[in-house]
Amino acid sequence: MPEPGAEATRPSKNAIELRNVGKSFGAGANAFFALKDVSANIGENEFFTLLGPSGCGKTTLLRCIAGFEEPTRGEILLYDQDIASLPPYRRPVNTVFQSYALFPHMTVGENVGFGLQMLNRPRDEIASTVNEMLRLVQMEELRDRRTSEISGGQQQRVALARALAPKPKVLLLDEPLSALDLKLRKEMQVELKRLQTETGITFIFVTHDQEEALTMSDRVAVMNKGDILQIGSPREIYNQPKHRFVADFIGDINFLDAIVTECGVTCQAEIVDVGMVEFLREGEIAVGQHITLAIRPERITLSAQARHPCRIENIVYHGTDTIYHLRLPNDDRMLARSQNSEGHAPAWQTGDDIGWAAAPDALAVIADNPS
Amino acid sequence: MSRRAAGDAKRWPGLALGAGFFFAYVYLPILILVALSFNENRVVTVWTGFTLDWYKLAFHNDAMLRAAENSLIIASVAAVSATILSTLAAVRMAQVRFTGQTAVNALVALPITVPEIVPAVATLMFFASLGVTLGLGTVILAHTVFCIPFAYLPIRARLEGMDRALAEAAGDLYASPRRAFFKITLPLMMPGILSGLVLAFIISLDDFVTTFFVGGAGSTTLPIYIFGLVRTGVTPEVNAISALMLLISIALVSLSLFLGRSEHRY
Repeated sequence: MPEPGAEATRPSKNAIELRNVGKSFGAGANAFFALKDVSANIGENEFFTLLGPSGCGKTTLLRCIAGFEEPTRGEILLYDQDIASLPPYRRPVNTVFQSYALFPHMTVGENVGFGLQMLNRPRDEIASTVNEMLRLVQMEELRDRRTSEISGGQQQRVALARALAPKPKVLLLDEPLSALDLKLRKEMQVELKRLQTETGITFIFVTHDQEEALTMSDRVAVMNKGDILQIGSPREIYNQPKHRFVADFIGDINFLDAIVTECGVTCQAEIVDVGMVEFLREGEIAVGQHITLAIRPERITLSAQARHPCRIENIVYHGTDTIYHLRLPNDDRMLARSQNSEGHAPAWQTGDDIGWAAAPDALAVIADNPS
Repeated sequence: MSRRAAGDAKRWPGLALGAGFFFAYVYLPILILVALSFNENRVVTVWTGFTLDWYKLAFHNDAMLRAAENSLIIASVAAVSATILSTLAAVRMAQVRFTGQTAVNALVALPITVPEIVPAVATLMFFASLGVTLGLGTVILAHTVFCIPFAYLPIRARLEGMDRALAEAAGDLYASPRRAFFKITLPLMMPGILSGLVLAFIISLDDFVTTFFVGGAGSTTLPIYIFGLVRTGVTPEVNAISALMLLISIALVSLSLFLGRSEHRY
């Protein structure tokens, strides 16, 4: 496996370094490998997202960094210091829990001050930090309320303020927005990004929501079945997925099976019964090799004159754009999306024979791993 | 619910009558007992006038006072011991997962369903075979044991309803396990612990069978003393003592209900 993250730009200093981290539950034949062999470097001040479906190991990885789980093997370095053996209360990292886990017998202010109190900070310092943190999340008026008397969105902000108050080196966020409704979630996405920029703290964010991952992160690690499949900027993850799973998990995508016919600076491949397509060279590719190319629906250009023929099977209107369900001559299906820049109905109808084309940089080469 | 279903229990014929009969059967004797404890006449069933004399008499009855003192000592020590043991057990049971845990939980609660006479006889045989002199000590020991399930159940229920992430959050925020326990877990468990304590106290205060078997000289409790009095005939004094016990029980149950209700604050 190539070194994950090598292709992405990232800060020079590592806040967290994961080296071959593995975690299994149970033993023998019943052992379950929640994390297989995870390596990644997370830079200082980075907004780093662990993205994957439920059960992919993202939360387990976060809990290993927090100290709630002990990895079965591998090393976790925090600013070059191995923290794998430290209990959670000795690690300068704080967590925002999915359930918020606010202390119900304390007020909002007491919750936010708890970490500092446990660090035995002076009383006046605690008071001023609590006020500062509550101002940061716009919750100053609610300082003396009980946590049961405030709304879900407000609890979310308190949980954030509580985790930020001890000024951790790394903030861990375990699907913190999943309990909020859509509108509030969008607000909090912007808010979280703002907080991260303002505080300059490294954020490690766990989510199964690909849109959330793309909009907030500096870099995203896509996980499946206990492994990180690809690390990259949202743009790279979206446009140049290396794995079929990554491509499929994030948004709609079309897969085309092709045989390489020529490979120079750009490569040519033939899709049987469809025709020749041009794509950019990516890694080791040999003439005659069977490959899978992936293309996003919005990168497909439709026109009557385009070189590859297709037939429109269905047209679905989505408001901002229109989705065309296409059938290729080799009987494969393909999705194309075009933006509705004008108000009138599309020029084509279901059953029309038209053509499609794709720019060379729109096609990504997928490593052949059917998992 | 705005519309009642056809099979609604509220429409069954004779329901009010049945319910009325039930409540009368349960509570009327108690009310009559309390009323008669203020009866001037020595013959229990003939009302001649109001008096507090029987209460005065009871409070000057040394044997009764000793029995009351024993009852309070036994109930306090047994309830507190049982609650501490149950708290420790419940905390540990919530922390760990092991095979057979459900069975262990069931075994802790099982004594509630076992006829009390069985463990009472067994405990007596146990003490006898060890050659232990029966007295206050043996009663306290036996009471502690049978109080444990009553204290354990509300504490465990409270702990099971608690978000495990709370203890993790405390650890995450630099609280050592010890501080996390005293700052977070224990305060949140408190309503359960207090309900358990009150329940255990009442169960112990009220106990007759076990006390009768494993008690000895100097360990006469109120229920045992009242039983002794009744054998020679019910007097208004017995009514007065019973009414006082009822008062204590009601006060404690009210306290326990109040504490139980305060759980909803969290």
